[in-house]
Amino acid sequence: MTKTVQSISTQSSANGAILRASGLKKSFRMGDSSVVVLKQVDLTIRPGEFLAIEGRSGSGKSTLLHILGALDEADAGTVEYDGRDIASLSARARSELRNSQFGFVFQFYHLLPELNVLENTMLAAMVKNSWLRFRSNKPQIRKRAIEVLEQLGMEHRLKHRPAQLSGGERQRVAIGRALMNGPRVLLADEPTGNLDSETGRQIMAVLEKLHREQQQTIVMVTHDRSIAHRADRVLVLREGRLEKPADVSKQNPAQGPDDE
Amino acid sequence: MLHSFTFHAIAAGIAIVLIAIVLVLRAPKIVSHLMFKYLRKRRIAWVSLVAVMLCTAMVIVVISVMGGWLRMFRETYHGITGDIVVGRQSLAGFPYYQEMLDRIQKLPEVAGAVPALRTFGLINIDGQIHDGVQVIGYPLEKMHSVSQFRHSLVRQYSDCKETLDDPKATPEEKAKAKSILNAPASFKHVYTDDLYKAIQPNMDPDTMPGMIVGASLVGLNKRPSDEAGAGKPDYIRPEEVDLYARWAQLTVMGVSDRRVSIDLRDKSERRFWIVDASRTKVWQYDSQTVYIPFDVMQEMLNMKETKVTDAKTGQEEVLPARTTDITVGIKPDADLYATRDKVRQIVDDVLANHKIEFFRDPVTTRSWEEVNAKFIGAVEKEKILVTMLFAVISVVAIFLIFCIFYMIVVEKTRDIGIIKSVGATSNDVAGVFVGYGLAIGIVGGAMGLLSGYVFIHFINQIHAWVGRTFGFTMWDAETYAFDTIPNTMNPKEVTVIVTVAILSALIGALVPAWIAARKNPVESLRWE
Repeated sequence: MTKTVQSISTQSSANGAILRASGLKKSFRMGDSSVVVLKQVDLTIRPGEFLAIEGRSGSGKSTLLHILGALDEADAGTVEYDGRDIASLSARARSELRNSQFGFVFQFYHLLPELNVLENTMLAAMVKNSWLRFRSNKPQIRKRAIEVLEQLGMEHRLKHRPAQLSGGERQRVAIGRALMNGPRVLLADEPTGNLDSETGRQIMAVLEKLHREQQQTIVMVTHDRSIAHRADRVLVLREGRLEKPADVSKQNPAQGPDDE
Repeated sequence: MLHSFTFHAIAAGIAIVLIAIVLVLRAPKIVSHLMFKYLRKRRIAWVSLVAVMLCTAMVIVVISVMGGWLRMFRETYHGITGDIVVGRQSLAGFPYYQEMLDRIQKLPEVAGAVPALRTFGLINIDGQIHDGVQVIGYPLEKMHSVSQFRHSLVRQYSDCKETLDDPKATPEEKAKAKSILNAPASFKHVYTDDLYKAIQPNMDPDTMPGMIVGASLVGLNKRPSDEAGAGKPDYIRPEEVDLYARWAQLTVMGVSDRRVSIDLRDKSERRFWIVDASRTKVWQYDSQTVYIPFDVMQEMLNMKETKVTDAKTGQEEVLPARTTDITVGIKPDADLYATRDKVRQIVDDVLANHKIEFFRDPVTTRSWEEVNAKFIGAVEKEKILVTMLFAVISVVAIFLIFCIFYMIVVEKTRDIGIIKSVGATSNDVAGVFVGYGLAIGIVGGAMGLLSGYVFIHFINQIHAWVGRTFGFTMWDAETYAFDTIPNTMNPKEVTVIVTVAILSALIGALVPAWIAARKNPVESLRWE
């Protein structure tokens, strides 16, 4: 599997994009009618970029994030990861992508209630390794999980269950879980949406630090303009299309919305 | 067919467990990790565990009791009947049996062959018991070569065996018991003529042969139902009165093919001393049968060789001696049915040589299985029926597991979305629930095996306790022919049952696992 990833990486240097979406369409059936959430979405994400996609609730921003992360499929259009069409990959290969190349952070944390902080963090490693390999690599895996949790300031809560943690702490553990296998892209779906503003700011500080110190590629969707504008680049999802925001103060003029 | 089913079930069970272990070790760690977490934290799963356990234990107990009963039944009937029986339904019997016996005994497969007589009579024991009984005439001194009948004799065998097992018995007592055990059984009087004369001054002991009576006929039963105080008739009890100082008067009727009607002149009456009681554990023998010497019975039934003179022609004719049965014992390594065919050939041959043909009631040669097919077949069918009934009940367990697992899948929908979002495949998700079902099957099956074993092991104690406490006797010795509930387990049957239990749990888990596996991760994550 490592080989596949490396071969994909060499391809990526050619055009400089990790993720490239073009012509994405997606609609949902609601009883008799169908609701179109993505009409025509084109997007290029470059390595080391912190992109925020702003949109009202129901605008389809979560759906877009799920499609980018190989968790959902578009009705039309393609998503290329390192130059390769995700839809052409087998289900197993898509699962492997989610496991090692993408890390998801959700609004409602989505931790497994039966597992403690350390186990929740190691989740991706537990999916990646067979029982036997997990057993023989346990010291390294454990070390990596604790390292990630230390970065997030959660190393003192290893044996706690999610129910015993505050919202901010739970989101830190969820970020830890997403970072466990060293993903190339972190996909954050309203990471502060369920937190008070102070805790939300702390979580944003964590993401910014990851981006600044480790050049972590981050794609974040949010409805909150003030949160969105802490990213390098902001796009607005409106009526199924991505647009430049009206306020371009934070916008890097060199990088427009994807118009190729 | 049953044998190959057994083999396949065992092979399937072992294969399933091995494959499961390999799959668990090779599957992502998350599969086994979540499986055991859910098993420990979701108490509802324990309900399905208990269901599997109870069903396994229940079927094991039923099969073991019914199977043990069938086995005891067969062994006991075999022991009484001998291996091969030549017989005629008609009480008139058949002649030239001695010629048959001589030829049968020459067969290399045959260990021994003896004649036996069978009829019905009226008995009067000591003026206290008046009953209709089956009367059997045995040449007891030769019976050990053909059947286990002597093992049923209370005085001559069982008591000696108890003495041998008794740690408190003196060496002299044991030596005496051993010598009695090894000697053939007999109808010899228990007491001296002087003693008999002292008991019954107006009877002549010399003319009174020995008689063996069924143990239940004289209340010599050690049934647990007696302890429970069920209203059994109060017969003579050995602790109250010496059974072997009792006389018995037997009335029988001679029957002949030569006469159409039964003649009152054929009535025969004789007094006997009771010399032993027989406890075969087969109810109809123990409560309704008496045994007397073959020669005595043959004489009473007018079946000895006799000379008759035809009233009209004045011609003298010799009527050959008759018997109703020949019991044949075969050597341990001999083939039962091949030997039966040889014996049948001899019997047909002898009858043909003498130009004897019974049109209505032929002489048949049957194996012990055929003789007792009526009884054994009934028990076999009962076993199959009861087993099937309980197996159907066990199917309920599959549905219970299905429902509980479906509940857990619904409850864990979001977890399924989460692990899919970190890269788990549909197979991994299915693996969690299939493994879960397998674990419940294996643990439930093992616990069922254990509890079934404990229950079976103490079943007679439990039954006695229930009888004492609630006055309720389920196992009636008179209905089931044995006074203790069989308590042995057949390892092959038990393996099949446990395998089927594991498979059932697996089947119950498969559909929920499939449902879980094909859940869309995005929809699962939205699940509240």
